[in-house]
Amino acid sequence: MNRQDLKTIIYAEKTKDETNKYKHKICVCCGAGCISSGSEEVMKKLQEEINTRGLENEVEVIPTGCMGPCNQGPLMKFLPEYNIYQKVDCSNITAIVQSQLIDKKPIEDLLLFADSREKPFINAQEDPFFKKQLKIALKNCGHINPERIEDYLVHNGYQALDKALFEMSPEEVIAEVKQSRIRGRGGAGYPTGLKWETVYKYVNEQKYVICNGDEGDPGAFMDRSVLEGNPHRVLEGMAIAGYAIGANKGYAYIRGEYPLAIKRFELAIKQAKKMGLLGNNILGTAFSFDVEVRIGAGAFVCGEETALIASIEGKRGTPRPRPPFPAESGLWGKPTLINNVETYAAISPIINNGGEWYSEIGTPKSSGTKVFALAGKINYAGLIEVPMGTTLREIIYDIGGGIQGGEEFKAAQTGGPSGGCIPAEHLDVKMDYESLVSLGSIMGSGGLIVMDKSSDMVDVARFFMEFCMDESCGKCVPCRVGTRMMHDLLQKICDNKATQIDLDRLEELAVYVKETSLCGLGGSAPNPLLSTLRHFRQEYEERIVNHELRELH
Amino acid sequence: MNKIPIIIDEKKLETDPGKTILEVCRENEIDILTMCHLKGVLDIGACRLCLVEIEGVNKLLSACTTKVAANMVIKTNTERIKKYQRITTELLFAERNHVCAVCVANGKCELQNLGYKVGMDHIRYPHLFPQCEVDTSHAWYVMDHNRCIMCTRCVRVCNEVEGAHNWDVMNRGHQVRIISDFNTAWGESVTCTSCGKCLHACPTGAIWPKAIVQGQLEKKPGIINELMEKRKMKL
Repeated sequence: MNRQDLKTIIYAEKTKDETNKYKHKICVCCGAGCISSGSEEVMKKLQEEINTRGLENEVEVIPTGCMGPCNQGPLMKFLPEYNIYQKVDCSNITAIVQSQLIDKKPIEDLLLFADSREKPFINAQEDPFFKKQLKIALKNCGHINPERIEDYLVHNGYQALDKALFEMSPEEVIAEVKQSRIRGRGGAGYPTGLKWETVYKYVNEQKYVICNGDEGDPGAFMDRSVLEGNPHRVLEGMAIAGYAIGANKGYAYIRGEYPLAIKRFELAIKQAKKMGLLGNNILGTAFSFDVEVRIGAGAFVCGEETALIASIEGKRGTPRPRPPFPAESGLWGKPTLINNVETYAAISPIINNGGEWYSEIGTPKSSGTKVFALAGKINYAGLIEVPMGTTLREIIYDIGGGIQGGEEFKAAQTGGPSGGCIPAEHLDVKMDYESLVSLGSIMGSGGLIVMDKSSDMVDVARFFMEFCMDESCGKCVPCRVGTRMMHDLLQKICDNKATQIDLDRLEELAVYVKETSLCGLGGSAPNPLLSTLRHFRQEYEERIVNHELRELH
Repeated sequence: MNKIPIIIDEKKLETDPGKTILEVCRENEIDILTMCHLKGVLDIGACRLCLVEIEGVNKLLSACTTKVAANMVIKTNTERIKKYQRITTELLFAERNHVCAVCVANGKCELQNLGYKVGMDHIRYPHLFPQCEVDTSHAWYVMDHNRCIMCTRCVRVCNEVEGAHNWDVMNRGHQVRIISDFNTAWGESVTCTSCGKCLHACPTGAIWPKAIVQGQLEKKPGIINELMEKRKMKL
């Protein structure tokens, strides 16, 4: 298919949309969160209800990706009114359809509602949860059917790829990405444009593009939601990257625990190939690009780039020392570009709207928006996207609707097992790469776990250490044995059996493991411990057994 | 090829580019502790004993995997590095059941020597005492997992030098174990050629021939490199 054919298809879809016979559109969230609370049955029941009432020519029911407030699911959105119903049950579908479509009046009691608010917002767009967000990577999530490429095409899909291929040189694409100042969304925050440029500089070589979808932080599900809600966006980003750096082959490494994301991404590849947006001679140009899915086998460490590459090569997923970095010697020893799912999802808007537009969002050092997965003791647990530099307070109280049961906020854990805890006195911290590092935490991939005063910070540190201990690949000594020793010492403190010497040793080990480990897993494993020691030291000291036991030192 | 200048421990040296820091140090008699390094097989930077400080690099890098670059300023014996070497050694000893007094490698063990070198007079961490197997199923050799330090030298020698790939690694974290084939008994392995190279590659008393008793193990790790050099000459 060439460029003209694609335009014809988009035109046909758009006119179909304009002369739409449907008066209403009902979106039912079919992300993994809502499916597990029964949204597929709800959708079936809804379609039956519409059919029995003979409304099938007036009302369109579509499954969509994640809408945001996952803990309130299954969610159902009525357009154009923008009424969102929460916790929809098969039993109240008849009532909702009756009042929404026949009586033209929403049932307020069933609308999306955070306990901390006085009453629900009839038009959900006025809810601060949606109002304060700025969706770029998640723009189409929750609006389009992720299993139809046409839905994405109508919403400007693959326009950025078209623009890159026909109007821009690879150098211009890289310049645009550099100008956007976007930084890697996987956690480390390395400037994406620089990475692209490094790989681009290797000439006359086979190169590869890899998408890192091995999201493994406890409580984080950003990549999953993007892959489930809009797989084509990621695919488009990868294709643009392939064009920019001069690669003809891409791999999407998605963790095996995300069957729905894998299914939808594979479907997206199939559809894109059929449309000529992937494969040989894309849109009739000389550029060819193919993407294959590789499924992770459940190892957290495979999110580390060199371990991920080893895993794609069919080897045991263990990291290797860097340098050389994958940009120089990656997959099968060839220059390889490896970026996170969310980074690729931000590429097409950058190409469409220009790097300058993107760089103006957020803070000077951290541009653009960031997707966070809210979890824990928060009213709206789910997926949000905010400009960089939004304060933690805004995220928790305005967007997240506050702490469950009106309890007092104690700490927020960012960056999962590699991150740290932010205490209440730093609620006004701006969420960007540098500010979080200065507090002893990291941005990470975007997991944000909110804790109230019932949380025991020593136990939190112990939990994350247990996670790192189990997930260490076992290759280097500091991580393999050090995490085990630190875990045992933390367990001893939790059991009220530790002495001051144990605490001193724990601190020494934490710095040792951080500085000597081979890869980022070990290098950041002590972070939850160090940050809780920094902000909640008292909780550790309260548990130290106060006796004069002197050990040989 | 032009020589490049580098400084190691305030000593000005000239060396060939493309060499690793470890190679340059060994050539110039600068002592670097290693455990997973074995001349003749690929380096993996896993034991973290050879970490060095490099000016302008904020991370400690393993000498065995880092190549020298012109004007590099390297420090190999700072207080921080010495402290970390001691902790690494203690962790290795605490991890499994290293009882020197009853070991075949007593007196000839690289781990034991490491303990002496870093001045480890006691271990500050609790011993983990894991339950490890002793595999005596092979006709001539024994694999004692209690004494294994997971340097994977046997794995690399078997794969890269012998080409048999009998040995590999299973599990994760502190539960990692060296396995024969797909975790079968060594004696039942279909890939093992009984060549005995892993015996010489092993730095401790984890792999040993059945015919010997305490303290009598003689290992020649150098033969691996000799073999590789001879092969290169043949080519």
